[in-house]
Amino acid sequence: MRTMGLFPGCLVLQRMPQYEKATKRVLREVGVHLENIPHAACCGAPLESFNDKWLHFAAYNLCLAERMGRDMVTLCGNCTNVLLRASAALDDTSLRLEINETLDKIGLRYDGRMEARHLVQLLVEHLDELREKVSRELPIKVAVTHPCQALRPSELARFDDPLKPQAMRRIVEAIGADVVDYDAEHDCCGSTLYLADERLGLEAGRRKLDSAGVADVLVDACGNCQLLLDRFQGLLGKSSGPAKLTVLTLPQLLGLAMGIDAEDLGVGPATTRALLGSSV
Amino acid sequence: MSGGEMEALLEDCTQCGLCREVCIVETLGGHSITSFLCGEEEYSSWLCSSCWRCQEVCPQGVDIHSIMMEKRREEEPPAGHESNLVNVLRFGYALPVDDSVNELRRLHGLDEAQLIPGEWVKILLQGQE
Repeated sequence: MRTMGLFPGCLVLQRMPQYEKATKRVLREVGVHLENIPHAACCGAPLESFNDKWLHFAAYNLCLAERMGRDMVTLCGNCTNVLLRASAALDDTSLRLEINETLDKIGLRYDGRMEARHLVQLLVEHLDELREKVSRELPIKVAVTHPCQALRPSELARFDDPLKPQAMRRIVEAIGADVVDYDAEHDCCGSTLYLADERLGLEAGRRKLDSAGVADVLVDACGNCQLLLDRFQGLLGKSSGPAKLTVLTLPQLLGLAMGIDAEDLGVGPATTRALLGSSV
Repeated sequence: MSGGEMEALLEDCTQCGLCREVCIVETLGGHSITSFLCGEEEYSSWLCSSCWRCQEVCPQGVDIHSIMMEKRREEEPPAGHESNLVNVLRFGYALPVDDSVNELRRLHGLDEAQLIPGEWVKILLQGQE
């Protein structure tokens, strides 16, 4: 069993225990044990628009993983993007020196030994193990929405096609479910846009959900996507499709296919029945 | 960033408009930094979903992200971004932290979160304007 450090990010740490526990449970099945990185803070993203301290936060978090001696697993697109860009920026010796002066005051030192990797990147490297663990057929149509910020910029996030990503599709196909195409597959969920303009953010989400309505479930791999597409779904005023489209995080769907108890995945009984039918 | 540095960032842009074509904000009728790049005056550097598609498709390799970040420092921030900022400055997280965080985690059988000590947040932010 390989151990890695989990960086859940603010949203998942504080509001989405379901995503975190499903991730831990499912990764254990494929041979990865996750330990939360003690004292991990915000990745730094919200600071970047205002000042350069985002780099201090990102470097701090990477240092904590270094201190554990573990590579880092991330669950959100934005955290992944920020940590990758910070790692690249910190290759600059003078910047690293400056930031290490700050980190020294809390007994840390950035050496750039640890990598941040998004959950999807990790899972796509374990397709065989995933296939072996499937114990339940999911005769359902799945729409996937990709963690956009974890895929770009492509010179740093190099595990998938940056404009026509395949990794999530391959992961869902590995558990035997049917992945469907839909028009808004590559569009952003609107979650970050919501911070600047609620109407436009919700409109982006509505378009996505309307378009994904051809599927039985929409699957994401980012706390921000889950926030807008699932938790805010009631605010969207969808124009077509069922009253509510089921939106799960990727490990929740994988866990159901592995026969893991829905409660351990943070999936409610009604959702489980709707997806698994009478096989539950 | 000086005016000259901004000019340098814009130097390679040919205003081809590919960035604007892939921008979800523009698709929805808003005007993002891609409108600025196309020479329009009506835009907001904050209207962005952070999807990075514009930069990915730019045939000239323009660092659109840096241009946008620079422009943001000249514009009034929207309340949502400002509230995230205030939370990070105060708690070290984008969302306010209180005891309910660990109550919710316990309810789901997760380990108690070991949060960043307040003193460390101050150290990381030292010198911040």
